[in-house]
Amino acid sequence: MGNKGEKFLIVDDEPDMCWVLEHILEKNGFLTKKALNSSEALSLIESERFRLVFLDAKLPDIDGLELAKQIRKTDPDIRIIIVSGYFYKDDVVILKALEEGLIYGFIGKPFFHDEILETVKTASSL
Amino acid sequence: MENFLMENNRAEISQEDSSDRYKKLFAMLLDAIPSSVLLIDRDLRIVSASRNFLEKSQRSLSETVGFRLEDVFPPVIFEQMDIERCIRQVFEKNQPTGGERMTHRALGLPMRIYYYVILPFCWNGVVENAILLMEDITEQVHLSEEVRRIERHLASIVESTSDIILSTDLEGRILTWNTAAERLSGYALHEVKGRLCCGYFAKERQEEVMLFLHRLKTTESREISQVADWDLMTKEGDLIPISWVFSTMKDELTQTVGMVGVGRDLAERRKFEMQLLRSHKLDALGVMAGGIAHEIRNPLAVCSSAAQFLMENQIKPEFRKECAEKIQTGIQKASIIIENLLKFGRPSAQSDMTEINLISVLKETLTLIKNQSKIQKIKIATHFPKGPILIDGNIDLLQQVFMSLFLNAIQTMPNGGRLCVSTKKIDGEVRVHIKDTGYGISKMTIDKIFDPFFTTSAVGKGTGLGLSVCYSIVKQHLGSIEVESTEGKGSTFTVRFPILR
Repeated sequence: MGNKGEKFLIVDDEPDMCWVLEHILEKNGFLTKKALNSSEALSLIESERFRLVFLDAKLPDIDGLELAKQIRKTDPDIRIIIVSGYFYKDDVVILKALEEGLIYGFIGKPFFHDEILETVKTASSL
Repeated sequence: MENFLMENNRAEISQEDSSDRYKKLFAMLLDAIPSSVLLIDRDLRIVSASRNFLEKSQRSLSETVGFRLEDVFPPVIFEQMDIERCIRQVFEKNQPTGGERMTHRALGLPMRIYYYVILPFCWNGVVENAILLMEDITEQVHLSEEVRRIERHLASIVESTSDIILSTDLEGRILTWNTAAERLSGYALHEVKGRLCCGYFAKERQEEVMLFLHRLKTTESREISQVADWDLMTKEGDLIPISWVFSTMKDELTQTVGMVGVGRDLAERRKFEMQLLRSHKLDALGVMAGGIAHEIRNPLAVCSSAAQFLMENQIKPEFRKECAEKIQTGIQKASIIIENLLKFGRPSAQSDMTEINLISVLKETLTLIKNQSKIQKIKIATHFPKGPILIDGNIDLLQQVFMSLFLNAIQTMPNGGRLCVSTKKIDGEVRVHIKDTGYGISKMTIDKIFDPFFTTSAVGKGTGLGLSVCYSIVKQHLGSIEVESTEGKGSTFTVRFPILR
């Protein structure tokens, strides 16, 4: 498991999805912050340091992958996990984003909590 | 005496003279007749032949007169016709014979067809000669064959078509009634022939049929026609929707003698329209599927996670309750989305028109595109009156129209935008404006957008039936649809319907 006390950002316009991720991560000793849209997310990344970002693929004001680009510009070290019900694992755009290193991982909705924790583990251990 | 002699002499001379005259007259008449005439003696030798015969058989007079018939006619014909026996019979019985056809094929000449009779020439009770009269009817035969061929061709067109073709006299009595009419109505031609045609239309239309016939009789103008959707009454008493075109029927002297009605079975067309609608619906469903998948997986993910939390040991009662609530709301959200999908996907039960509230149709359709527009960051603005706007319509079909227009608008705004839907009542009609801020329609394509199969979508993305189907549905609602567009700025579709009072 990653270092306890590390901070993760959750970006999803659906408050219940934020609730889910917050609970999974906090139960395991991580700190979380949430953003419901792109501007909230970007301002948080500018002011704070996050190890991982859980990012929804479709946000009301921006496409998730587009936001991923902006986030990486702001913080090139940050690792982004796309959590989405819109794409699926083998989607061309997802495969391409993974290959380019734009995103670190992809988790399709709905998911098992272990998938989230497994991703956290590998992403943090690097 | 001298005088007598003179007289006698003159009589003799005049007798000789008149004999010459008759000969000349006979020769002239013979040559003037456009038929072949042969004078034949008892030995079947030719005594005289008309010019026509010589021309036709390409023989000279010297090759003909004095020759036996069998030397002049080709042996095949001579034997086939058994002409010798026929002529002998005429000589014996002093009765004409023939009145039959014969085919004459001279070597190296095109085939000719003759109509022939053999007449006895009887003088003082003795049949001296037989006259063989042959009329060349090759042309007539060919012409009448051609006429029959054309008649058969025309008849087969009329009989093969799947459209009803009927004709009546000026009083409306049925003259002709093709196979399609027999098939659709169940009445055979012999059952309807001579009967008034209006009896085969739906009761409430009979008066209109009579009115058209009356116009036909009284209008001075050269031609009138009428297009009408009148139901046909079948033998079983069922009504079949038929789209008719009635027009004036004229004779060869351009006198109006009746009417011709051509009718197309609308049931077939309506079936096809329903198929189009169905395929278009599937198309729209495909576009919606992406949005729906996303929307439905969110509540599923929440439910799944809440359940996973509940399965953990030692959870606080408050959190347990919270999880249960999240599951409950998640399921509700998902089922609303599924319900909307089902509402749209269900086949249109019927195309009947009833009094409906246009505003609620618009609102309901807008909820169906909420997901898709949210994903594409499109803001929806509506401007509706407080009360209902009642029109005569079919909810399923109109939902189809608005769905197409909304989805089209959304597709033109891939990077977000604004969709504004408003209604306005003007002069007994309602106008629905659907305005987008998408990339608009070029001047080149704006005229074509209502054509079937016209599409600007990439291959595989759209069938191009959307707007043409919209057009036909709106027409069915006695409305109209038009578009204004500025390339790069957006389009406004305006759909008009008559308001029910």
